Amino acid sequence: MAPNEPTMVVPGEWNIRYFYTAGPVAAHFFQELKEHRRILGIRCPQCQRVLLPPRGFCERCFVQLSDWVPVALEGKIEAATIGCAHLEGLPEPPYAIAFVRLDGADTSLANFVTGVDFSDIEAAAARLHIGARVAVEFSPELAGRITDFHYRLLG
Amino acid sequence: MARGVDVTEPVAIVGIGLTSFESAKSGQAYGDMIQEATAKALADAHLQRDQVPSVVLAASDLIDGRGISSMVFASAAGAMLKDEIKVAEDSAAGLTIGYLRLTSELFDVSIVAGWSKSSESPLTLVQNLAYEPFYHRQLGMDDLAPAALQAARYCHITGCSPDAAAAVVVKNRRNGAENPRAHIRQAITAAEVRDSPPVWWPLRRAEVRTESDGACVLVLARGNRARELSDRPVWIKGLGWETDGYNLGERDLARFSALAGAARRAYAMAGINDPLHELDLAEVHDFTAYNELMAYEALGFCGPGEGARLAIDGVTDRQGTLPVNPSGGVLCTNPYASAGLLRIAEAALQLRGEAGGCQIPGARRALAHGMTGLGGQSHTVVILEGDKEKAR
Repeated sequence: MAPNEPTMVVPGEWNIRYFYTAGPVAAHFFQELKEHRRILGIRCPQCQRVLLPPRGFCERCFVQLSDWVPVALEGKIEAATIGCAHLEGLPEPPYAIAFVRLDGADTSLANFVTGVDFSDIEAAAARLHIGARVAVEFSPELAGRITDFHYRLLG
Repeated sequence: MARGVDVTEPVAIVGIGLTSFESAKSGQAYGDMIQEATAKALADAHLQRDQVPSVVLAASDLIDGRGISSMVFASAAGAMLKDEIKVAEDSAAGLTIGYLRLTSELFDVSIVAGWSKSSESPLTLVQNLAYEPFYHRQLGMDDLAPAALQAARYCHITGCSPDAAAAVVVKNRRNGAENPRAHIRQAITAAEVRDSPPVWWPLRRAEVRTESDGACVLVLARGNRARELSDRPVWIKGLGWETDGYNLGERDLARFSALAGAARRAYAMAGINDPLHELDLAEVHDFTAYNELMAYEALGFCGPGEGARLAIDGVTDRQGTLPVNPSGGVLCTNPYASAGLLRIAEAALQLRGEAGGCQIPGARRALAHGMTGLGGQSHTVVILEGDKEKAR
């Protein structure tokens, strides 16, 4: 091998198709989202927590879940962040993501926060403070996906 | 009071092999990088490949860009026609498997190998695929987004300010500058940390893990075999590991709950009651500066909400009560799946007195921490001790 041989790099790409089975719990959640613009949590009969996103079993109590509970379309931010850097494969920055405790739920549901002025990141972050109230806002076209809605700051 | 566990045939680290750590090892094939670290670890343990019957691997298929990448690379870690097993998470978890294989007494020596060459992959896209596909994957998050949520939540709950995070960065970067094995070897000022661009608010570029190519391989041996192979065995005195639930919206984002559990188990096994004073150093997985502060609390170096104070007061500086990340940590060197094993290797080098410029004089007992998963879902804690008879 010659000492000055150029390095060789072969490009590759994975483009692999999956069909992810939602199961009856997620399917019902997205159906209700799409058809009735409702967000449903699921209550654990043992610990009584209303879990969002809903799931087939409570990880703590390890019992199956079936008790659907509609939660409010308003809640408060538990934690938020703003994507500020260009990162390969992710949306163009800036964009805000918040984990929101919707009223009536005991866990937080993540989504984008829209309508935020990002011209000053620190000012935007201050508006997205923990405890800030947000409302669920639905997209005009619903597809039965988590991106059917986003959060908008209230007040 | 923790009394400790009596292991009649204890397990020691008897071989350490590291590659250099760089942004992109574009001049070296993936498998050659792994073989380099493995050959160094075997040489350090005065062993030939055919004398090691067990091989534990730790890697990420998506970073490696090969499905079941251990099929491609196991032989590079010396595993051809051997008993081999892989963990698809941080390599510190691989150490626990290696330990259990030796204490099972089915094996007396084992390789534990971790590697990542993340420069070959679209890393943020790879991290986005770690999100489940229904509720989270469409939200444009990578592995730093949950760490940003943790930072925001941690500051909200504890009153921690960016000054404490900057103190961690300044400390680790200063340490890394003294560590001949570190990837980033450049000190930084608090003002430079503050002026570095935001990545995921509130996290700034200087406050988050770097990205490094490299491999780390250890050789473990049990009992008298360890004493035969090394004149400076580093004994594994405590181990603990724990995994939290997946859903970030259900976790306490201001705390590493699973790390607290892992630490409790490791301390009980090693008989440690007061880690701040009983340990000589700690190598923790500082994925972000805030994560290091959270680790102080989960590891019991201080009470809840006191992590920032520890950093600002210099308690975890190299001259402090308990030096944390004298190597510079993950802020300086982050070969992803091998980052946890590198924490263990750096701690072991300290206990052998071979850490070089970042050596803590007279270090006898150390903690090493590895973590995996979004927002640090899984944690491993290892307590290491230098050899009593051979202490210098």
